[in-house]
Amino acid sequence: MKISIIDYGLGNLRSVYGAIERIGGEVSITNDISELKQSDKLILPGVGAFADGMESLKKLGLIEPLKELIIEQKKPIFAICLGFQLLAKESSEFGAHKGLGFIDAIVRKINRNDKQIIIPHVGWNDMIKVQDSYLWKEIPKDTLFYYVHSYHVVCNNKRIIIGKCHYGIDFISAIEDKNIVATQFHPEKSQYFGLQVLKNFIEKK
Amino acid sequence: MITVLTINDGVLFRTRDFIPDYRYTINFVDSWSVDEIIILDITRGKDNSKEKFYKVVEDFSANCFVPLSVGGGVTSLDDFSKLLNIGADKIVINTEAYENPELITQAAEKYGSQCVVVSIDAKITENDIYKVFTNFGSKMRSLEPQSWAKKAQDYGAGEIMITSIDKDGTLEGYDNKLNSLISNVVTIPVLVSGGAGKWQDFVDGIKIGKGSAVCTTNIYHFTESSILNAKKYMKNKNIEVRI
Repeated sequence: MKISIIDYGLGNLRSVYGAIERIGGEVSITNDISELKQSDKLILPGVGAFADGMESLKKLGLIEPLKELIIEQKKPIFAICLGFQLLAKESSEFGAHKGLGFIDAIVRKINRNDKQIIIPHVGWNDMIKVQDSYLWKEIPKDTLFYYVHSYHVVCNNKRIIIGKCHYGIDFISAIEDKNIVATQFHPEKSQYFGLQVLKNFIEKK
Repeated sequence: MITVLTINDGVLFRTRDFIPDYRYTINFVDSWSVDEIIILDITRGKDNSKEKFYKVVEDFSANCFVPLSVGGGVTSLDDFSKLLNIGADKIVINTEAYENPELITQAAEKYGSQCVVVSIDAKITENDIYKVFTNFGSKMRSLEPQSWAKKAQDYGAGEIMITSIDKDGTLEGYDNKLNSLISNVVTIPVLVSGGAGKWQDFVDGIKIGKGSAVCTTNIYHFTESSILNAKKYMKNKNIEVRI
């Protein structure tokens, strides 16, 4: 099993790499298109601003190849945090920006109606399973995961939502849409159960 | 609960005569119930120490699957980029943020504000007025910490880490007067640091200091189970913690 972590200059690649290595996958960090093509599964990590992420994918000439690999060839991909958001059609972070559009969703700022709510949402919080998924294998109820974000994904297609979290509002914590899985939390930063989620992705037949 | 590790010239710096070996610490931190780690480079005036520090950060990020904030001597977007690339999740800036607050904005725009932790060291001065100190606490600045915290938030900081120079290392408990001065003026998370010595201090840091998280630096006071026990203690006092 060959896993490629897509390197587009944003994000905590090292810890994702370390996590996959710990689980026992053959892993590389790359933005080389032929290497991405040869891998069995992809990971799109990410921390940072939406516009920079898209700009960087564009500069590296990755948008079309990713579309081909993920949408046409249905290669399994796990998108994390900003990676998850980039899959959406558009975001309102620092102005309106177009996303990859691989899932029927948009990105919005966490609405701070409640004055007690601190933005960004940083820390350990719930992941409430709303649907069964292979990602949740051996994940107990009420497991906490680590979140760091100011924006969240709003899905038009509710059927792909597999996990939710509450922070001021209910927001989507995880989705599964055919070959695409994505989490707003950072599995690579969520200790034991975070690694289990990544393991479930890697071991999925 | 955040564990703060200070690194001097590439090795974990402790104030007692321990044999400095950061691998020992990695193994400990990974198995503890720690929620987050902050690694600070406190090396002064050594040119080649950066590379050693980067190596420490890389080792931590490859072995600890919890959030990692890194700081110490960060002065540019290049430093942000370098540290994020080797596994940091958030970057802690102190002196440079004070002198060049535009860096906060630039980093927030480039990496997201959640990535930018502005660390403020403060000390009580004449007439019981707190002042910001930069340059490893050696240089008194004109602003009071609460004004600087508010300003840092306006520039785009995602978190404030407040350290009481007076309390740091004393184990007497946090300076919660200082902490609440900060948490009352900002809406971003406040990490309180400096002085924790017993479990009730963590509770007080959250309840009285109104911190979002509590930091502990003197890791050698804790064995594997005591972080967990500290958290259980906090939970019993109705504080939401991850057990």
